[in-house]
Amino acid sequence: MVKKPVTIGPLHFSKKGDAAAFLKAMLHKYDVGDKVSTGDAEVLLAALALHPNATAKMGLGITHFSVRSANFGSKCFWVNRVDGSSEKFSYKACIRG
Amino acid sequence: MSLNDLQGWLVAEGLREALDQLTLHTVVAELDNIVPPTDKAASFDWPRLLLAGSILAQSDQRTYQDAALRIATAAITLSDNEAIKDSGAVLLGKLSNFRAVSLATERGLLTADVEGRLGMALRIEAQHRQMDQSILVQSSGRWIQVNDFQQRFWSQADNYQWLSASAPTASGKTFLVLQWLIDQIRSTEMHVAVYLAPTRALVAEIEANLVSLLGARSGIEVSSLPIREKHDKAHEGGSRAIFVLTQERMHLLANAIGGAFKVDLLVVDEAHKIGDNQRGVILQDAIERASRSNRTLKLVFISPATQNPQELLADAPEGAHTASFESDVPTVLQNLIVAEQVPRKPKLWKLSARQHASLLPLGVVQLGSSPGSLKKRLAFIAAAAGERGGTLVYANRASDSEDIADLISQLIPEVPSDPELLELADLARKGVHPRYRLAPLVERGVAFHYGNMPSLIRSEVERLFRSGKIRFLVCTSTLIEGVNLSCRTIVLRGPRKGVGHPMEAHDFWNLAGRAGRWGDEFQGNIICIDPQDAQAWPDGVPERARFPIKRESDAVIEQGESLADYLDRRATTDLAEFEDPNQFEQVASYLLATFLRQGSIAQSSLAKRHNPAIIERLEASLANIAAQIAVGADIAARHPGVSALGMQRLLEAFRNYKGDVENLLPAAVDSQDSYDRFVTIMRRINQYLFPAFTPDGIIPLHALIVVQWLKGFSLSRMIERNIDYHRRNGRSFKLPVLIRSTMEMVEQIARFRAPKYLSAYVDVLNMHLAAIGREDLIDGDVDIGTQLEFGVSSRTLLSLIELGLSRVSAVALYEKIARDDLNKEDCIAWVRERDAQFEGMDIPAIIVREIRAKLLPEASAGAAASTS
Repeated sequence: MVKKPVTIGPLHFSKKGDAAAFLKAMLHKYDVGDKVSTGDAEVLLAALALHPNATAKMGLGITHFSVRSANFGSKCFWVNRVDGSSEKFSYKACIRG
Repeated sequence: MSLNDLQGWLVAEGLREALDQLTLHTVVAELDNIVPPTDKAASFDWPRLLLAGSILAQSDQRTYQDAALRIATAAITLSDNEAIKDSGAVLLGKLSNFRAVSLATERGLLTADVEGRLGMALRIEAQHRQMDQSILVQSSGRWIQVNDFQQRFWSQADNYQWLSASAPTASGKTFLVLQWLIDQIRSTEMHVAVYLAPTRALVAEIEANLVSLLGARSGIEVSSLPIREKHDKAHEGGSRAIFVLTQERMHLLANAIGGAFKVDLLVVDEAHKIGDNQRGVILQDAIERASRSNRTLKLVFISPATQNPQELLADAPEGAHTASFESDVPTVLQNLIVAEQVPRKPKLWKLSARQHASLLPLGVVQLGSSPGSLKKRLAFIAAAAGERGGTLVYANRASDSEDIADLISQLIPEVPSDPELLELADLARKGVHPRYRLAPLVERGVAFHYGNMPSLIRSEVERLFRSGKIRFLVCTSTLIEGVNLSCRTIVLRGPRKGVGHPMEAHDFWNLAGRAGRWGDEFQGNIICIDPQDAQAWPDGVPERARFPIKRESDAVIEQGESLADYLDRRATTDLAEFEDPNQFEQVASYLLATFLRQGSIAQSSLAKRHNPAIIERLEASLANIAAQIAVGADIAARHPGVSALGMQRLLEAFRNYKGDVENLLPAAVDSQDSYDRFVTIMRRINQYLFPAFTPDGIIPLHALIVVQWLKGFSLSRMIERNIDYHRRNGRSFKLPVLIRSTMEMVEQIARFRAPKYLSAYVDVLNMHLAAIGREDLIDGDVDIGTQLEFGVSSRTLLSLIELGLSRVSAVALYEKIARDDLNKEDCIAWVRERDAQFEGMDIPAIIVREIRAKLLPEASAGAAASTS
């Protein structure tokens, strides 16, 4: 399989697997309920832009990202919007594009 | 022959046969569906018996007093001769049992004005006795007639700074203590009194009793909430205050007030519970905290029949006048009856009364169906022998109590429906679940009762059992945990306390002692099934025994080395490595807090009670731990049962936390991330503070319960959610089990463990925030412990609870109120405006009544008068 490079904001990864590992490590740095730090949020915003449903996920605008629980005891990034709504998204979907 | 010898001879020989006959006739009259061995009419030599009775009445030994009481009761209930009945009444007077005389008069067994018919000498003696046995309530100028125990309590309570009094159930303890408490607060310089009751159920009961004894506009505030306002006003010269609190709530109150916390008078009810596993040491800590708040604190301990009430006085401050006394005087006859199956005839059960060492055959009860299971045995025998009602059945588990109640309901004749029972059924359906098993049962006059039921429902069950509308009540050990509920007959088979432990003699008698409602009945019956079955009764049906008082802390300290080893290991080893940290953690935390406060435990009063070598070893272990602790003594004192070492570890974890400090804070329950924050906080608590929420996999469920509870969800809504969750995830469930487990999680997690550990978490976090200059993040609103205790997080809900509503009612009402920031006055105004519309709001009638009684007392007093 041919390696596909991917760029998330300022970060370049020579293959998608590296990008996924990077985001996975970021996710697991946090406990559920945590707010994502400003630095990480910049990366996440860029990643979310690659998401197939990016427009819908971003909605009217984003206030911050957080890590919260998802199904089956796992955790996940969530986007919190200016209108108070909130939705989870998969970092893997962002990389798959 | 001395008087004592004579009394001994009378009971053992002289009256033996006559007393047996009296017992047979009096007991058989108490039981239903029994066929006595002979129906020969009895003839008694009453003058001889009554003379013997008056000799026995002079003794203070229970056996002799029992015999005298039996003779007096029999004379009144069995004889047709007025003179004999009158003599029975005089004998009751000699036993200071005036309530039984009133009862006999009410029942028409005695013609009114016994005294008028007595000769001059007897009349003077009777009047003299009545005056002797009366006490003057200073504040009201009223005289109350009392028994020996009550009189001793009244005279001694005034004279001593610390007093410990012990008497069996049904001695009129609670009534008298409340009278005395009110008298003290009215006629002395006491401003703040605290009545410690070790269960929420008892708190509710005592609070209601006090409010009704005080009446409207008494100028004395009664509260069961740990809110400082009433305490402060009382000390500033405003209305005096009586707080009725569990030990945990007293700590919450003291935490809310801080250094200004001061108690003038402390009453500790059910004081033997200082020996309880886990909560005993929290009670001890509460007593010591109140005592530290005021060196001249007046303190009264009350306990049921205990062997050593003086034990509780060991920690009195130096120079304090102390006294203890105990009474073992019977106020009602208690018949111990054993039920054994007739060989080869499962439907026939032979009943015998236990007399000293022998059994007195009473007759045979025939059951309608064959009792194939143990639950059926309890249900069938109770339904047959206790058919006239007032019958309590003891079940070992909540699930059994539901099953047994169901069986009984199928056996008893249908009665016309009663509006109060229908209302309770409605409350059970709306407050818990439409298919909660209690509802159809109470409609038939049968109920069950266990600890995790919502308190409003439980107290209604108790009230309707007292009033006789609920005729059969199947209960669990909650009842020994200090609910003042007595019965006419109690039926038991192999009672256990908690999971699996056979009941010890003193626990058994604390429970069995509820048979016999003084002032409502002359006798109480204790029916023990299968007394020969070694599995049911490993040591046989216990002989009457009194409770030994032993502090939980002393019991654990006596284990000496093991406790010191635990302390040493706790300092070095990860908590996850401990097999059962609960065994030592509470007492270890208590000792550590004491050490931090005093710099040593060698000078504390507990040191005097133990082997100096053990104290020395503990002192060394504690010193080693204390050297690692920087959180300070104050914070340790605020969280009894939570280890200062755990708090230190938590503080270090906060200091080492690499992320944004805001992530450490709990989120308000209306916030989307609240649930997840609680999940993470519970994990942190498990890791650093204490493994309180285990196993790890259960944390999400615990967090969910905590969030729903704080959001002010009603229990019925939480149960609905739990059912939905099971359905959505394809998990099978049994409805009764799911209902009970939801109730259990609310009580054990949301209202016990979560407040204990979360409030310590928040306190340590606030300390850290202050240290790093982030005071801006400290939330100064209601303490998380208090929020959890009451299951509220909005101002409006808290106001409703402060106004005295039960949570069930507060939540039902809050569902109709839009605003979340109403204070007490706003809430009253809201209710007043809509008073006329309540009936249309689909709120259960019992709740509407409570709302009106608590929020619109004047209006509801009028309404109650017009409907009664």
